[in-house]
Amino acid sequence: MLRKLPSSVILSATLMLGAAHLCAQSTKQGKFNIARGGILNVFDNAGSITVHAATGQQLIVSSTPHSPKVEVDSSSTPDGRRVEIRAHALPQQKPNNDEAKVDIDIGLPPGVAVTINAATAPITVENVSGDLTLSSDTGQVTLRNVTNSHVLVKGIAAPISLTNMTGGFVDITSNSGAVQLANVSGNKVSVNTASGNISFQGDCSGGGNYVMITHNGAIDVFLPQTASVDLTARSITGSVENDFPLQAKTHTSFVPDAGRSFAGTSNSGSSSVELQSFSGRIRVKKQ
Amino acid sequence: MNCQQFQEVLPHIIETGGSADEEAHLQSCTACSDLVRDLKYIAEQAKLLLPMRDPGPRVWTNIEQSLQREGLIREGRMSRQGHTLTITQTQKKSWTPLGSVLAALAVITLAVVVINYHPRAIVTAHNSPATSSITADDQTLISQISQQQPEVRQAYEDGLKEANAYISDAQKAVDNDPNDDAARQHLQAAYHQKAMLYDMATSRSLP
Repeated sequence: MLRKLPSSVILSATLMLGAAHLCAQSTKQGKFNIARGGILNVFDNAGSITVHAATGQQLIVSSTPHSPKVEVDSSSTPDGRRVEIRAHALPQQKPNNDEAKVDIDIGLPPGVAVTINAATAPITVENVSGDLTLSSDTGQVTLRNVTNSHVLVKGIAAPISLTNMTGGFVDITSNSGAVQLANVSGNKVSVNTASGNISFQGDCSGGGNYVMITHNGAIDVFLPQTASVDLTARSITGSVENDFPLQAKTHTSFVPDAGRSFAGTSNSGSSSVELQSFSGRIRVKKQ
Repeated sequence: MNCQQFQEVLPHIIETGGSADEEAHLQSCTACSDLVRDLKYIAEQAKLLLPMRDPGPRVWTNIEQSLQREGLIREGRMSRQGHTLTITQTQKKSWTPLGSVLAALAVITLAVVVINYHPRAIVTAHNSPATSSITADDQTLISQISQQQPEVRQAYEDGLKEANAYISDAQKAVDNDPNDDAARQHLQAAYHQKAMLYDMATSRSLP
């Protein structure tokens, strides 16, 4: 069939297809004035979402659809209190998984809260200080260098990773996705999983409350010798192991059961650390 | 029509709706109307059991023993083939309304056995999401997700099974010791898991 067509036609078709591909992959950028204390809402099921600190005071949103079957709507309120970015399929279009992807890159001014809803899109947030509410079904959630923020993360099977976070509050609920926290501290750090494993590495500084609870996931906590914690670990039917030097507590709210629970303090015990599993293994180790 | 007469034709009534006399008795008799309501509920719940993995031998043994204890069958009357209850040729010949009632009782007993194992939801396994089940509401939610975002359907289905298994385990722990703070915290966390799944499913973006 192709042999019967003139080469110029084939060349033109190739160029048109290439142009369409480039068009679909073309990046659009929008700039928004958003008030300090305002909120940015992002809805993007597939593709990727990246949030980082903006160099100026404007919110900068770059979006790259993977096909002409999807588009990105953006809107802002006149007072600049709320900006909404929503990726969606065009009417009458039924994009496949790859065609539905939209990559969104956001430069965020300081003091702006962000809410992100994604299905399979990985979410990456780094070097920001506003409050964060992140929700992803299966896409990896990665946070780095976030300070003094309320951080709420929800995931179904999404791996969740938080690194270098100080101050604020952290609340993570993950069903089967693993949760990894490294150098995360705050007034309240809470992790709840059903089967997802939980890994915590850090000194639990700041005199906060750290609560990690799981059904049948494993909990691994690695503490430096300098950690000042008041630690309890309990498993209903699973096992607990401790390799961290703790001073046994003379009084606990439960009867210690060897292999199933332990409690103790190190240094002045300034932070409270509570580890609970139903049947998962809990292990505390010296870092 | 009295209760005995009504209950003799109960399977027929459930299937067809019954005659005017039977309907009149149903309207006037609380006991029979409750029985019909319960049977319909169990029949609905039994449908949910169909896609599940077959119950283990322990469940079938319990059914058999329960029916024997109640005097509904004699020892050795009920046969088991694989994991499926079968009716022998002799029994088929005597397939009467009484037989229908016995079959209904078998379903009821099965439901009771399963529900007794897992009172909060029809969940079948301990710490094993692969064999946990989901409720009718869960099924509805999964259907909606399948239409909107089929690529994450499996994640939600698995997640709901995980959450239901967690609720079941935690509920049992609380039932064993209502004063156990840890068990209560687990129950709260388990329901939090399920609430999150529903929240995420219903607040998702348009495809």
